[in-house]
Amino acid sequence: MRRGKSLHLRLALPLLGLVIGCAAGVASVALGPAAAQRTGPEQRAVFDATHLPPLLTMPDERAELAYDVYCAAGDDEGAEAGCDVRGAVFVRRAGRGSFERLALSSQKSNGGSGQLAARVPNSLASQSGGFEYYAELKAPDLGERVTIPAGGADAPHTSRPLENPVDIALGRHSFGGVRRVGVRLALAAWGDGPAQAGLEQGRQLGAIGPSAFDVDAAGTVSVLDQAHRRLLRWRKGAREPIRVPLSIAGTIADLAVGNDGSTYVLESTAEPGRNALVRRFDDAGRELEAIETAERTSSQIRMAQDGALVLGHRSHHWMPVTVGGVPASPEVQLRRGRDGRSLRTGGEIVLFRHANELRVAMISGRSMTRSWRLTSATPLAEVQLAEPIEQRLVLVVRMYDDDVDEFAVLTVDRSGLVDQFTLDAADWAETAPLSRFRLVGKSLYRLGSTPAGAFVDRFDLEVR
Amino acid sequence: MLVSRTLLVTFGLALSVGWVGSAAAYHTRFVADNCNYAAPTPTSVITRDGSAAVALRARYEGYQWAGGCWNDNDRDDSPGDPTTDAGTGGEGGDCSGFAFKVWRESLDTSDSSFQQWGMLRYVHGPYTAAAFKAGSGAPNVTVSKSALIKMDALASDGHIGLVYAVNPDGTDQIIEAKGEAYGTNIWTRTYRGSSSYSGVRRTGWSS
Repeated sequence: MRRGKSLHLRLALPLLGLVIGCAAGVASVALGPAAAQRTGPEQRAVFDATHLPPLLTMPDERAELAYDVYCAAGDDEGAEAGCDVRGAVFVRRAGRGSFERLALSSQKSNGGSGQLAARVPNSLASQSGGFEYYAELKAPDLGERVTIPAGGADAPHTSRPLENPVDIALGRHSFGGVRRVGVRLALAAWGDGPAQAGLEQGRQLGAIGPSAFDVDAAGTVSVLDQAHRRLLRWRKGAREPIRVPLSIAGTIADLAVGNDGSTYVLESTAEPGRNALVRRFDDAGRELEAIETAERTSSQIRMAQDGALVLGHRSHHWMPVTVGGVPASPEVQLRRGRDGRSLRTGGEIVLFRHANELRVAMISGRSMTRSWRLTSATPLAEVQLAEPIEQRLVLVVRMYDDDVDEFAVLTVDRSGLVDQFTLDAADWAETAPLSRFRLVGKSLYRLGSTPAGAFVDRFDLEVR
Repeated sequence: MLVSRTLLVTFGLALSVGWVGSAAAYHTRFVADNCNYAAPTPTSVITRDGSAAVALRARYEGYQWAGGCWNDNDRDDSPGDPTTDAGTGGEGGDCSGFAFKVWRESLDTSDSSFQQWGMLRYVHGPYTAAAFKAGSGAPNVTVSKSALIKMDALASDGHIGLVYAVNPDGTDQIIEAKGEAYGTNIWTRTYRGSSSYSGVRRTGWSS
């Protein structure tokens, strides 16, 4: 009798555990996420603003500062109602004096969201060194405010007049014109093999391939194969890449290789409520640091003399992610933001594309040492690269119309345009936005892709 | 002792089995629990700024292939949805569903009127990215890419994103539902210059 009872107990207990366990398991899955998902509409206020800073101006241009403001309270039904938005810009002569407040006025009759603008007085706008400014915008009813650029008075925008720029008229671009054949340094077919490159989202849903690359002084080519969370690294002359695993998100990211061999990866996605990270890895792929960037979205990472810089938006500012070799907090990054990108060789470069016109200035201290104004009868898209070589400047600009596009490689100096050639777009797979070209020494490197795979070519520039 | 150990072990095993067995159903919950099928509200005054506000409310939310319903809690409530299944019921629009709701279009492709869809209304609309690229439907037209302004779109055969702002280096800030691993957000893109993309405009804006 006792034995029979014990047998029943031995059978019943596991059965009981099984039933309770299964029920708990199912409940934990079914109820847990459901509770987490049933967050309700939580319709919060919408408040955002954008601003295209007139970084480089011509003497005959009106100095008007305009801000597009998007503001809505309540739900989607109230999207058209806008809200009360007020603001001011604070302006001063570049590097001098205190900021003067100029009220921003609405360009819309309803006084709600829309465009706010202020005209800078000629007494400031006509200064040879330009003027500095920042804006504060607020929606009092919503308790929202924004400063643009985010560093405020510590890191304002600088609007500089181009004085005697080198004028270069490119005319109408002839697509399929002069090409230059490069040297193929790296080639990776699409796939999951050890020497192949991965495609995010497959071929049908907007193919995204290796999203960035860089080349170090020794000629080693590093391609960020983010879909496989690794670098493919071709030593100079090597036919097969070395694979370096990286702990990255696996989404579009930009890449820069430092002089010390460190690899910097700028992510484009982030954890909820956080900004994207810059991750630094050593030569073997060990993560050394993960630094949160300061702004909602960042588009590029590049090396300067003393560390990596990230281009953040909405401020459109280049910000250091380290200061004195130490990771910088987002607040410090914002306070050190600049319109121009500091170069490894010193000085900085400022770009401003305005319709079919590209303005470029080299800055040393607060002085503009050289400037160019390139005009085109063909639309200009993004400036993929702007790097000096000695006294010259190499620009890679995408020219486009509605059916075709290609990259124009332009070498300019104080006398004007000294060399140019074009390259086919070779952009079958998407990359990080400005990661298709790098300049090292006197060679231009390009990351391209076709339906067959990704490649890196080198073009030796004729710089005497 | 033996009794409690046996109970504990079987409970643990069963918990795992129950969890694994039910996990496949997890991503069907967002739409089922949160979304609705309410009729849209016809509206006569529609501005680009208002559409930008609708788009910004979707920012930081998820992406769901063929989806079109999101909340406003700044996180993807169904991360890691299988990307090969359009019916997982996860949070977010896909690129064309997002454009459809932000442009406040009608399900009737011959109707160019403006229809306000709530963010929790589960609707994708009748257009693929390729259809937008071709300017299909009464409200949509193709336009020269150099003429695009805010809340116009750049569309390829596989993707569509809306122009939010222009950067000084000639790139655009695009607001888009990019993919499952990305969700919906604003990123800097170079779609404008790429020949894979065409310019598309929703017509009829009040301003």
